[in-house]
Amino acid sequence: MPKLNRFKIEIETRETGTDLPVHFTINNHKLPLEDAQGGVGPGETFSGGFEIGSFAHSLTLVGPKSGQWDIRKIKVDYDCEHTPPYSVVFGEVTLDETTEVNIWQDPPLPTWDV
Amino acid sequence: MSVLKKLSQMFSEPDTQDKKAGETASEVQDPSSSQSPFAEPPPVGRRVIQASVIVGQAEEMNQSDDILIKAEPSRDNGQCKFMVNRPLFEGHSWMFSNFEEAAGSPLAESVFSVDSVETLLIHDSTAVVTKTGAKGLSDWEALAKEVGGVLRKTLEAGTDMVSKDIIAQIPTEEVVRDEIQKVIDTEVNPGVAGHGGKITLTAVTGNTVTIEMGGGCQGCSAADLTLKQGIHSAFRKAVPYVGAIYDETDHAGGLNPYYR
Repeated sequence: MPKLNRFKIEIETRETGTDLPVHFTINNHKLPLEDAQGGVGPGETFSGGFEIGSFAHSLTLVGPKSGQWDIRKIKVDYDCEHTPPYSVVFGEVTLDETTEVNIWQDPPLPTWDV
Repeated sequence: MSVLKKLSQMFSEPDTQDKKAGETASEVQDPSSSQSPFAEPPPVGRRVIQASVIVGQAEEMNQSDDILIKAEPSRDNGQCKFMVNRPLFEGHSWMFSNFEEAAGSPLAESVFSVDSVETLLIHDSTAVVTKTGAKGLSDWEALAKEVGGVLRKTLEAGTDMVSKDIIAQIPTEEVVRDEIQKVIDTEVNPGVAGHGGKITLTAVTGNTVTIEMGGGCQGCSAADLTLKQGIHSAFRKAVPYVGAIYDETDHAGGLNPYYR
């Protein structure tokens, strides 16, 4: 597991949105996303990020305090130490006050044509 | 700002943290933020769920008329997966544990002709190869090219990939499910129960099985050893026609692993 310098996140909301701020957890510590732009209302796109500078044993996006949040897509750009930047796109998910969704993926394995 | 600095500020400089939060236009001021963080109500227990990862590479490969093969060594370099844009053994999987087992199966025979190949697992359009003494990525670079070459040559020849004898001995999914469940109930689960573990058969597709490791096995640092040396061995010994065995456990979500 490489050291995560920073990550950026883009979230597309479906019909059921929620309220700002958007929180995430890093190794079970809950924090608000920084550099927030856009919104998390129905059909809106939100972007934010955070400078981590630590190893991500777990990285999650936290569900709303109440109600549901229907997410169409989550794109995460990771900037890790000694690893080329990489992105992962997660598909549809619905969050509520009891859930958070994993947004950590290890860097892709080296792949080449043979 | 690094997460350590941020956390440090949260607990040592509440005024600074409040100011920073107020600077971000999109954030709503939490009434409890001006108080000590210890005064906050206990956080709601949340469970971590997984969203599907959208992969674009496979679609790109499937659209090509040429035979495309990608090599992908595992993170520990113990094995190398070859992803092909053609079916190798559609709907089924098969484990060739040695050269002798490859007899009659052109695909396996060609792969085992490559020096130092130890085992071969084929499933749908992927082949997974282990080799003797693989320790690093460099061990795979030359070998992967060689294996890719023989895979392509066999596919171009257009012959059956797997021997008819193998195909004939694969029973129905129901039989595979019953046999594997029996091994889990009588051998595997009694074995892991001592560590508070439990193995559940979650899916059978053709002769490919998927399991989930729960209790003390979920997140256990020895889970991989249990899987490969315990579960795989027990399944293959009792049910010789079982193909690929996948573990779909969310090990990061383990709450009480036996070994941390």
